[in-house]
Amino acid sequence: MANQTPAVVMDNGTGYSKLGFAGNDSPSFVFPTAIATKGVGGGAGGSGSGRPAVANKPSFLTGGAGPGGHLSGKRGTEDLDFFIGDEALAASAGPGYGLHYPIRHGQIENWDHMERFWSNSIFKYLRVEPEDHYFLLTEPPLNPPENRENTAEIMFESFNCAGLYIAVQAVLALAASWTSSKVQDRSLTGTVIDSGEGVTHVIPVAEGYVIGSSIKSIPIAGRDITYFVQSLLRDRGEPDSSLKTAERIKEEFCYVCPDIVKEFSRFDREPEDRFRKHTVNYPNGKSVVVDVGYERFLAPEIFFNPEIYSSDFLTPLPNIVDTVIQTSPIDVRRGLYKNIVLSGGSTLYKDFGRRLQRDIRHLVDARIKASEARSGGAKSGGLDVQVITHKRQRHGPWFGGSLLGQTPEFRSYCHTKAEYDEIGPSIVRRFALLGGPGST
Amino acid sequence: MSQSLRPYLQCVRSSLTAALSLSNFASQASERHNVPEIEAQSSPEVLLNPLTVSRNENEKVFIEPSINSVRISIKIKQADEIEHILVHKFTRFLTQRAESFFILRRKPIKGYDISFLITNFHTEEMLKHKLVDFIIQFMEEVDKEISEMKLFLNARARFVAESFLTPFD
Amino acid sequence: MLLLDYQNVLIESMLKDRFSGAAPVSIDQVVSDFDGVTFHISTPESKTKIRVSIHVKCFQELVQYGAQAVLEREYGPYIVEPESGYDFSVQVDLENLPADQEGKDDLIRRISLLKRNAMAAPFEQAFDEFAQRQEEASKYTSESAPQGVLEGGEVRAIHYREEEAIYIKASHDRVTVIFSTIFREETDRIFGKVFLQEFVDARRRAIQNAPQVLFRHDPPLELEGIPGINTSGSGEVGYITFVLFPRHLTAQRREEVISHIQTFRDYFHYHIKASKAYIHSRMRRRTADFLQVLRRARPETEEKERKTASGRTFRVQA
Repeated sequence: MANQTPAVVMDNGTGYSKLGFAGNDSPSFVFPTAIATKGVGGGAGGSGSGRPAVANKPSFLTGGAGPGGHLSGKRGTEDLDFFIGDEALAASAGPGYGLHYPIRHGQIENWDHMERFWSNSIFKYLRVEPEDHYFLLTEPPLNPPENRENTAEIMFESFNCAGLYIAVQAVLALAASWTSSKVQDRSLTGTVIDSGEGVTHVIPVAEGYVIGSSIKSIPIAGRDITYFVQSLLRDRGEPDSSLKTAERIKEEFCYVCPDIVKEFSRFDREPEDRFRKHTVNYPNGKSVVVDVGYERFLAPEIFFNPEIYSSDFLTPLPNIVDTVIQTSPIDVRRGLYKNIVLSGGSTLYKDFGRRLQRDIRHLVDARIKASEARSGGAKSGGLDVQVITHKRQRHGPWFGGSLLGQTPEFRSYCHTKAEYDEIGPSIVRRFALLGGPGST
Repeated sequence: MSQSLRPYLQCVRSSLTAALSLSNFASQASERHNVPEIEAQSSPEVLLNPLTVSRNENEKVFIEPSINSVRISIKIKQADEIEHILVHKFTRFLTQRAESFFILRRKPIKGYDISFLITNFHTEEMLKHKLVDFIIQFMEEVDKEISEMKLFLNARARFVAESFLTPFD
Repeated sequence: MLLLDYQNVLIESMLKDRFSGAAPVSIDQVVSDFDGVTFHISTPESKTKIRVSIHVKCFQELVQYGAQAVLEREYGPYIVEPESGYDFSVQVDLENLPADQEGKDDLIRRISLLKRNAMAAPFEQAFDEFAQRQEEASKYTSESAPQGVLEGGEVRAIHYREEEAIYIKASHDRVTVIFSTIFREETDRIFGKVFLQEFVDARRRAIQNAPQVLFRHDPPLELEGIPGINTSGSGEVGYITFVLFPRHLTAQRREEVISHIQTFRDYFHYHIKASKAYIHSRMRRRTADFLQVLRRARPETEEKERKTASGRTFRVQA
């Protein structure tokens, strides 16, 4: 199989896109899912999912190369003039370019931009001829099938890619956890806690299928933690309390503690051990030192005690996870408790998994105890709660895709260009479950 | 609009307006069903004479009226293989989104590029003359769009070729 | 993006990152490049020794046309024993880098151009052959030249893709580079035709000094008698001929010319795809347009009776 080209794995998220080749342990490229285009009108007002938003904003209709049809006047190359990723951020800082994020809340909103984003990803960054490669793309849970069809239309008709598989991110995150030594059986049943920059999802998956009705999301994620750190820095009047500094401190110093009260007293008892200093270097050569104190453990604490940060969302993460599992079908709950998988950058804090496991276990044990008492003497066999922390958490879905994309049977799960030509876009409404029972 | 196009579209417009006098009509073949008779073709007595409006051999409209439904099929102008492929691509793109177009048929009838099916339910819900307007506007714009896409393609090809060869200069 | 890069962006950015003094980490990545080329970037011995290996489908052919010499010239001291499964490997030691920034940048550039350099050998050989023949031919006038001098030399064939190949032939006044190309898709074939027509015309119209470009479906005369040529002249296969004239073959330009002409196929295919993407976005907009026209056919929903605060009703006058 040495001659077979590796599959291309692309995980396009709301904030960042992860691109690379199957079989590698990390994505080759990670950059913002952003595109900078020339002018405001050009390419705007794209329509999504067959129900275009354009009708409501007729002004966009004449934008770009719209029905105005003044094509002959220009050379018609505006659509090549754009940047993606970090270059987009750089370009939009200068004049002439507007920055757009084609994905909102995990779903593709602007297909024009997305198509060009992919085009550049493939030809400039990955440097592959799509006709030679199979592609594995990801989608959020509950993605409408029309979006899949649109994706397939672009991948097959514009790029002629050899084959395509679209997997749900949560399922791939489960597959990624197989690398952990704690996982004995490679099952695709489990609860995925996916916490990125914008939002945290708790997604129950049973045998590779997402239990859509039980998904819950929490409006607390990486960005909120950054804001929280920033507000603590401001309260103390630190010399630098920019968002960037707050982010650095969050990434470098934060961890999850078992008990806040004890942690506070520990800080007071042994300050030299616990308090840190963070040096901020400015481009002009100056630097200032910022003290890092209680925010080290307080910031990630907002997952467990949201009341310290927000006044409208008050349910702690462990309770949400418990509710999600309790609302799932009874016959899969045991599997869901046993395999709680973390994914995304905001789950990387030290001891995050341990704390979560302890808290959920407390909830479960309390419930079991209560029902034992009520039943009058019956003994429960207990319930195993296990939170899986593993090395590939940060790019969990991408890594899961890389893992599955390199299996020899991957290609047989894909829809090929020939099948697409024969049946049409509706073919991608169904995919056989990759990595499910029967394979590997 | 060119001089020869105007009478053509005018003719389609009046034929279509005339054909769009539809009424609710239950199926005679199966009880409690109501099917577009022009599609079912099961009762010849409710089908009316079909009509072709033709501008030239490459551009024509085929109108098939019946008591409760009208089928309109359009053959879009395609002078060469580029236009042919563009028409094919575009009509496929449209039919892929037929769901939101209500009156668009997912498959054109044989010999035509795109077909619409208007039933009495459509004419009850929507304004008849606006439906006719839509068809006419569609015919006008589709030609324009195809030729613009072709122009684009040529311009792009030229630009691309020159850009590649310039470094050799 | 208009022109494709010559270098591999991933290798470039990775090396840049490593060379800038970041903490060494272990790397193990298999990445692809155009035309089925595979790279393996790894740190097999220690974290400071980065090995880059390349696998090219037609490496045997390239070696035959002098690839080894070209690669040795480019990478000299960095060459190591090829990794198994790959054709050629270089290794750099982070502890033993060129001292100045310029040297580092040059090394990064060289390594990221690994594919380009591997593929450059037959071109260089042909260019050399041209120079030689030109010299020889200059000794004769066109009438008195003995047999063989004015005809071209052997054709160098590089089967760089499954079904496509590059043929290079040198003669005394030109170097001919022929790409054979195949289109699976009807749309691509027609788009390709439009593009190629413009390539052919571009020289006549705007860029007089560009190489002459020819396009035909049956194999050109230069390829007569070459094994493995499909002579059926079917529509799927096409032959694009670039005729490079002496002005393109000068020593100072050849570097650039070789890099550039190598990207032809991928450039060509990239733009076909980019135009399709653009046409898609046009169609999206037009579809939205049509939908809006159709939506006008729906009568406005009945206006609800509006009441003022005091309970009186009124109707909007039409």
